[in-house]
Amino acid sequence: MTSLAKLLILLSLFVPIPAAVIAQGGYPDGTAISLLQWRHFVPRHDEWFDAFAQAWGAANNVAVSIDRVNFAELPAALSAEIESGGGHTIIEMLSSPAAFVTGLHDLGDINRQALADFGSQQDHCYAASYLPAADVYYGFAYGYSLNHGNYDIELWTEVGYPQGPRTYEELLAGGRAIYAASGIPVGIGLSPDIDSEMATRQIIWSFGGSIQDERENVVLNSPATIAAVAYLARLQNEAMTAEVFGWTGASNNQALIAGEVSFIQNPDSAYRSLQAIDEGAAANIGFTAALAGPAGAINGTYLNIAVIPAYVEGAQLAAAKQFILDLTANYRESTFHSELFNLPCFPATVAELPGWLADDPYGSTPADKFAILAADLDDAASLGHPGPTNPAIAQVYAEHIIPNMVARVALGELSAKEAVARAHERVEAIFARWRAQGLVGGG
Amino acid sequence: MASLALPSFPLDNRRVVGILFLAPALIYILLLVGFPFLLAIAFGFSDVTVGNTDLSFVGLRNFEAVWENDIFRQVFATTIRFTLISQVFILLFANILAIIFTQEFTGKWFARFIFILPWATPVSLAMIGWLWMLDTKYSPIDYLLLQTGFLGPGGHLSNDRNLFWLASPDLAQISVIFVQVWRMTPLATVILMAGLSSIPTDILDQAEVDGSRFMRTLLMIKLPLILPIMVIALLFSMITMFGDMTVVYVLTRGGPVDYTRVLGLYSFQVGIEGGNLAQGAAISLFAFPLLLAMAIFMLRAASRAEVR
Repeated sequence: MTSLAKLLILLSLFVPIPAAVIAQGGYPDGTAISLLQWRHFVPRHDEWFDAFAQAWGAANNVAVSIDRVNFAELPAALSAEIESGGGHTIIEMLSSPAAFVTGLHDLGDINRQALADFGSQQDHCYAASYLPAADVYYGFAYGYSLNHGNYDIELWTEVGYPQGPRTYEELLAGGRAIYAASGIPVGIGLSPDIDSEMATRQIIWSFGGSIQDERENVVLNSPATIAAVAYLARLQNEAMTAEVFGWTGASNNQALIAGEVSFIQNPDSAYRSLQAIDEGAAANIGFTAALAGPAGAINGTYLNIAVIPAYVEGAQLAAAKQFILDLTANYRESTFHSELFNLPCFPATVAELPGWLADDPYGSTPADKFAILAADLDDAASLGHPGPTNPAIAQVYAEHIIPNMVARVALGELSAKEAVARAHERVEAIFARWRAQGLVGGG
Repeated sequence: MASLALPSFPLDNRRVVGILFLAPALIYILLLVGFPFLLAIAFGFSDVTVGNTDLSFVGLRNFEAVWENDIFRQVFATTIRFTLISQVFILLFANILAIIFTQEFTGKWFARFIFILPWATPVSLAMIGWLWMLDTKYSPIDYLLLQTGFLGPGGHLSNDRNLFWLASPDLAQISVIFVQVWRMTPLATVILMAGLSSIPTDILDQAEVDGSRFMRTLLMIKLPLILPIMVIALLFSMITMFGDMTVVYVLTRGGPVDYTRVLGLYSFQVGIEGGNLAQGAAISLFAFPLLLAMAIFMLRAASRAEVR
């Protein structure tokens, strides 16, 4: 990173939030809102967020407090607060809150308001916040992160792929060759964790499989899913170590920083961590667009979604909704201060994004390292792809059925056909249960 | 002549005093054990989800659905297996350590203090320590094995630089059992030490006079006498471990695959994280009949041993 870039970043921290974009609400004295959110992978974001929240509170006569926890603790925290009927005003989730829909406010009003104010919303953000079976918006999705490929340029150049793999077949061929030559494996998690959940899903999608179809019917047991699972098992056996069965939310970062992995799928936070430590090593990391499988190329997304529990009422509810809308209006700042980790669900809120992707404001080498991601922004998918992220999809995620299904095959415990059939049976039971409650369509 | 009888005082009444002494324990059990237990039963027979507190009765539907779920059956078997294997080691180590710690030796106080630490440390903190020790990439155990030629190219154990403690199915199970034994052994030891200390010295003196050596005294006198206490230690340990989810939640989150997923964790994932409170409650309730039967059997066994 150049000195100029560092100086610009430093200066940007002191840039005040433009007063014009914060609505002057003027709520009754004593109005207070509290936020619970995940501790951001890019610490600079949280510093900016704190300043934004306090500035917003001062402008609107609202006391704003923020608590942060590890992202993995949020579902249990939200669940506990809903059940106890008290807690934070806004909870910002990284995984889907769909299973808690009956304990959340319908945020249809601010979603419609945002469409009117900011224009169209990315389809995958809509699919992960609107529940068609109940006709409610259980949350407000203002941002997401793209789960793209990160590869070691030197290693992949040595095996004939200087631009990194473009297809899953190339990932297998190149990853296997690198592992055989250097002992450095591919790192795609097959464990009960958030990164494994997303990575395995997007490979299944790219092979043409999915958990459900657009109408929320379970279609997991298909030749396409079986082919994807067999592929992943082969990838693990030939190009990865057993480490991926114990992959955690920190593993991608650890492996990339240690230089002990040839390819991972992760938003830019792993790369940014490396960039902060060793710019030379970071320059040797390239990004890939979504890898293509037999059915196309689809990147998964981690959603940044806010929910308001049903116990929030009155002026507090109004203030919370206004805060969410104003945060969306300022998403340019969120994207910038998260070092392009937070991408906008409403593209119009970050008009500078194409420019930032073409010329990284944080001094990447080369400057256009992020440019390859631009094409994937509109075609990315959320957890329930190609259908909505409904409560059943959220429970399938909570039980880690998909990465476990793949790991069983990679460990030689079951054949791909058996593992998919077994997982399908469990997924069917989960869907049937939520469908009976009127919260999942299809059937 | 005036009577010397003291004026009436409520605390002279044995029944009142008894109730007062029992009250804190009873209130604790009713509020923190009884009420959640009844709530879990109500949830288990209902269709409740997080946010939807409609407790409409659905009969045994949740229990049937849980039993038909082969992941649950595997989790149930894993929980029983982990509990039983751990108890064997806990009893063995606790007996050895209790005997050592009831002998006189220099530094006994310090050794006891160090030994009790695993039990005294909050479980979540202790598990974070173990998470570092067993890290798949930066485990200090792996580092030592690497430096001594057991790991790495040409290593005696593996050509890899890591053993993948929490990622290999066998090692992950061994790690979880080891950590549970490490955590539970101090409690069992302290209970057994209390038992050993309570053996009347005249019995031991008589045995010594009669020419009984260490092993004979241990096997024929001490162990039979502390058997009821040993059963209590075992019961405590088994019940604590059967319901525990913290160890696997922090170390493995149930992985790899389902190899370390235990009942408490699965109930949490389905009921709390997955929002399906009814089935989460049903999963946890499956442990109840087993634990109840176990407790009755063991307490009766302890009682019989005591009478003899």
